[in-house]
Amino acid sequence: MTAPALARRVVVSAPVVAVAGALALTTLVMLVVGVDPTLAYPALIRGAVADGNLEYTVAAFVPTLGMALAFALPLRAGEFNLGGDGQLAAGGVAAAALALLVPLPPVVAVVLPLVAGALAGGLVAAVAAPLSTRLKIPAIVSTLLISTPAVALASYLVRFPLAEAGTGIAQTPTLPDAAHLPFLGGSGYVTIGLPLIVVLTGLWLYADGRTVTGYEIRATGQNREFARYGGVRVDRVAAVALAGGGAFAGLSGALIVLGPPYRFVDGALTAPGYTFTAVAAVLLASARPVVVPLTVALLTVLQVGGQGMEREAGVPSQLTQIVQGLIIVIVAVLATLQARRRR
Amino acid sequence: MYAAELVEVTKRFGPVLANDGIDLAVARGEVHAVVGENGAGKSTLMSILYGLHRPDAGEIRRDGRTVALRSPADAIRHGLGMVHQRFRLFPGLTVAENVVIGAEPVRAGRIDRAAAARKVAALSERYGLRADPSALVGGLPVGVRQRVEILRALYREAEILILDEPTAVLTPGETDRLFEVLRTVAATGVSILLVTHKLSEVMAIGDRVTVLRQGRVTGRFTTAETNADELVNAMIGRSLAPSAPKRARPVREDPVLEVRDLTIHDADGVARLSEVSLSVHPGEIVGLAGVAGSGQRELIDSVTGLRGAVPGVFLAGTPVLAGRDPRVAYVPEDRHGRATAPGMSVAENILMGAQRELSSRWTLPTAAVKRRARDLVDRFAISAASVDVPISALSGGNAQKAVLARELTRPSRVVVAEEPTQGVDVGVRERVHALLLAARDDGAAVLLQSSELSELRDLADRILVLYEGRVVAEFPGDATETDIGRAMTGATA
Repeated sequence: MTAPALARRVVVSAPVVAVAGALALTTLVMLVVGVDPTLAYPALIRGAVADGNLEYTVAAFVPTLGMALAFALPLRAGEFNLGGDGQLAAGGVAAAALALLVPLPPVVAVVLPLVAGALAGGLVAAVAAPLSTRLKIPAIVSTLLISTPAVALASYLVRFPLAEAGTGIAQTPTLPDAAHLPFLGGSGYVTIGLPLIVVLTGLWLYADGRTVTGYEIRATGQNREFARYGGVRVDRVAAVALAGGGAFAGLSGALIVLGPPYRFVDGALTAPGYTFTAVAAVLLASARPVVVPLTVALLTVLQVGGQGMEREAGVPSQLTQIVQGLIIVIVAVLATLQARRRR
Repeated sequence: MYAAELVEVTKRFGPVLANDGIDLAVARGEVHAVVGENGAGKSTLMSILYGLHRPDAGEIRRDGRTVALRSPADAIRHGLGMVHQRFRLFPGLTVAENVVIGAEPVRAGRIDRAAAARKVAALSERYGLRADPSALVGGLPVGVRQRVEILRALYREAEILILDEPTAVLTPGETDRLFEVLRTVAATGVSILLVTHKLSEVMAIGDRVTVLRQGRVTGRFTTAETNADELVNAMIGRSLAPSAPKRARPVREDPVLEVRDLTIHDADGVARLSEVSLSVHPGEIVGLAGVAGSGQRELIDSVTGLRGAVPGVFLAGTPVLAGRDPRVAYVPEDRHGRATAPGMSVAENILMGAQRELSSRWTLPTAAVKRRARDLVDRFAISAASVDVPISALSGGNAQKAVLARELTRPSRVVVAEEPTQGVDVGVRERVHALLLAARDDGAAVLLQSSELSELRDLADRILVLYEGRVVAEFPGDATETDIGRAMTGATA
């Protein structure tokens, strides 16, 4: 492909069109409500990258990328995992419980809670697998329905059995020092969670494209009947993909809890809306796994920068949610148009 | 003056020139066949005539006047009717309701059901299209549903009736009845455009034929003055090799595929297969005939292992393995159903089933996978831009060749082929047949299911007939279509 042709393909590709369209519409909204875009956008960028905010953005990038994998991995097998919140909370509470209740030597005190978090998240997600393969309840429904009780259970554990005594605040006590994730370099926000999740993303990309399991997952997602016919045990593949996605969500929960402020604060995992920012990022990447880290970065910048914009330009940070919503709508419209043209 | 005329019609889809200056003229009351290989442009041309696509150039004339057809509604107004390959009926409504829909007789603002039933009964009487106006469409056999589609077009006073591959879903008996109906309809002055790829049908019912190849008209014939060879020449640009002679094989080894007393019930407890026994020996092709839904699916899923570990199915003397028994090569009927994953590349589609043997442990040897795919693409003469393009970018015939390439290169001694030439053109059909015969000559035991009796007669050494889940008859490969067709309807000889 020639360079101009490649450039044209990138420029008119769904993600670029969606982001550009969403920003254009958002600008329109700003003008209508009387916000000066020439003030708002610089404020948004500054809020994300300037004045030491970059660190905070990177810290938010870690769980968002984790949650993106939680959605993207099952999606490759054709299963929609919308229960990220429940898996995230389950992973967080499992990690916190282990760190609080079992005295562990250094290093192990970090590793084991992370593993426990991944396991807990994986288990919560895996419940959807037999529901989908045996009872034909779509994962998109069951994961979402299971999510709410899982979040509630985590909340209960944090408020009662694991609650910090005497404060009345819905949070656990601070985890023992051995369980604190080490910071990366001199940062006060970014922990070794960043390289961990980056390495895991790399592994996932490799597995997706270059391994037998990845091939069988993709075949299952592309055409389940085809995979079954080819001898792939599709029910197991779907279960593995869902559990794998849940494990990424659980791990993200554990990473949040083992990072500052080193405790499970009720609601702190789900309130920032990592799950659905991640869903938007994966949909924006429109079935190109390599692009996922980029779209996650973009949406994290919007998310974090939105708060800066609110502080500086007085624009409600909800505006960035409008951008996100518009992106998803445009991606959906483009996908539908494309499908129709192909027909 | 012609009833309908397409003049210099050109239609382009992206880089593909689907119709290239096509002229087609249909006289009043004639049956005009439009034949051509898959991708020759037949469907596009008919879609243009029915207002589904607009031509890039050229014009459409009705009774000599140029008309603009922007939608099927326009086409209907101009007296065109179309019977699609997939019926567009409401199963929950009656025959009469389905026929009058969109132009219901109204009395005092309400649908006049009695009048509807009366009109439909009169129509069906007039054209010999027997169908009970008050029957629910959902419960009717396929042949009758098709009549409802035709009735609907006639009710809308169609003067030109387009039928897209109408016999694909019919039994031989239903096909005969359809042809009688079409002759009756044509005799009343309605012109019929019959899109098909079955030459026997063209010769049986067509008055004139227009042959398309690669978007152009390559031949116009009067059926009375032509023959099948001439048509094939126009369709594929060369003649067909004579079909392979059948071999007489006095020596028989033990069967590699054996089914003993196989009975299968569906979820409702209804028997889909009853005490089916059959055996296929190395170096023989056993044909499986039967009306759709006679148990073919259940039998084939049992033999391939896709139905699980079914008792009574043996491959080389041992029970079939659940899941997908790797000892069976299986060419499924529907390329979009199970045979391919349209979004995956040609290489990835060809890989399916061999991914584990090709890989040591976890990693997929991508280079080796592509090399193997390229090798098979060459060996099986598949025309593909590269093995990295999605298989959906291939024509139907090339996708089918890719499926055969994948399956026939499995290390299996049993080959199950299900409608292996459905929807492929004559050239590919010839190639597919040669491949199946070659597999047989190499000592494979081939089970061939086909709804085309001529295909079974060309290839099979023996033909078994399934009827309501039972093997009701066995014929030698050269039995007449009449005998086989009769057994397919359950009539005992």
